[in-house]
Amino acid sequence: MMDRETGRKLGGLLARVTVGAVFVYSGVIKLMAPPEEFAFAIESYQLVGPQLGMLTAQALPWVELYAGVLLLAGVFTRWMSLAALAMLFGFEVILGQAMARGLDIASCGCFGAASGTPPQEFLQNLGLMLLAWVAFKFGGAYSADAHFSQAKPPEAAGAK
Amino acid sequence: MTDRKNPRLLAVAAALIFVSTMAVLLARQFTSAPSREVPAFRVFGPADAPVQIDEYTDFACPACRHAAGKVEEMLRVFDGNLRVSFKHYPLLNIHPWSLHAAAFADCAGEQGKFKEYAALLFEGQEKWGRARDLPPEFEAYAKQLKLDWPAMKACSEDQKTLRRLQLEISEGDLRGVSATPTFFINGKRAVGSAQLLDQAMKFDNILRKAAKK
Repeated sequence: MMDRETGRKLGGLLARVTVGAVFVYSGVIKLMAPPEEFAFAIESYQLVGPQLGMLTAQALPWVELYAGVLLLAGVFTRWMSLAALAMLFGFEVILGQAMARGLDIASCGCFGAASGTPPQEFLQNLGLMLLAWVAFKFGGAYSADAHFSQAKPPEAAGAK
Repeated sequence: MTDRKNPRLLAVAAALIFVSTMAVLLARQFTSAPSREVPAFRVFGPADAPVQIDEYTDFACPACRHAAGKVEEMLRVFDGNLRVSFKHYPLLNIHPWSLHAAAFADCAGEQGKFKEYAALLFEGQEKWGRARDLPPEFEAYAKQLKLDWPAMKACSEDQKTLRRLQLEISEGDLRGVSATPTFFINGKRAVGSAQLLDQAMKFDNILRKAAKK
């Protein structure tokens, strides 16, 4: 029977890997497509002009990819979980305002051409935010962070 | 949250960022995808043809005019076994009116005469290619083909038309297109009509293999 601590660790690992994989997928699928495609999706939210939309379309997928990769490996897990949580919250606000304003958005642009409608993505993001929070709280196990914190510094190991 | 102080973690983070960046950049270079659907009026040949060609073309480019004739001939020779998707790749830095020509050709396509308008654009490319102001030929060709010019003009300025063109140019960039005409024959690149004809010599093998299936 699994004890509570092990359950938390495995739950944290699962949450971290899931959020990391989603971010990597989301970043890569946009990076492999013309940036204009994502820029058009951004423009449809009517929050930024074409130039800023294009700039965001070129930069954001890289940020998603890096956050995802670092989360998967468990490097700076708490910081990356927080960053993922902040990004997801930002996406949620943008999706929410689009739904509130009744904007006609066929594809939210969240996963390139494979994106769903804003309500679907809104619900999905809520789930991901919950997972990012779990990763923040319990995602440190089986991570690069844990590996390096276990390695004793030279002075503690008695090095001269 | 003191883990950021760990230099080894910083090194791992830097390595992961470097590797993932290189992986994406390499994948972009070698991927044959993405290939966007083109409007039906720019596709010639059946969907299940064993030989599929994506052709990136600029209406003001002489080599493209030459290749257009070869493609036409190939469509006749390999009737039913070849499908050509015509894609716009105007070389904006050297051909100032190519983007307009592409837009007008698409708008002629909306009225059912893409091929005819494209043929006139290729034929007259020396006249309109280096004009200083909007070449009158675009309108003259439309009238010659009895197309609705005001509708074509409105269509050519429509954001939908321009976005489709921008996406195609961007797709070409991602697939490493830098010269026209560039062909992707079942995913294999050929630049210019000589390489296209060279690849065409192998079509019989492809067709034989397809017939055996």
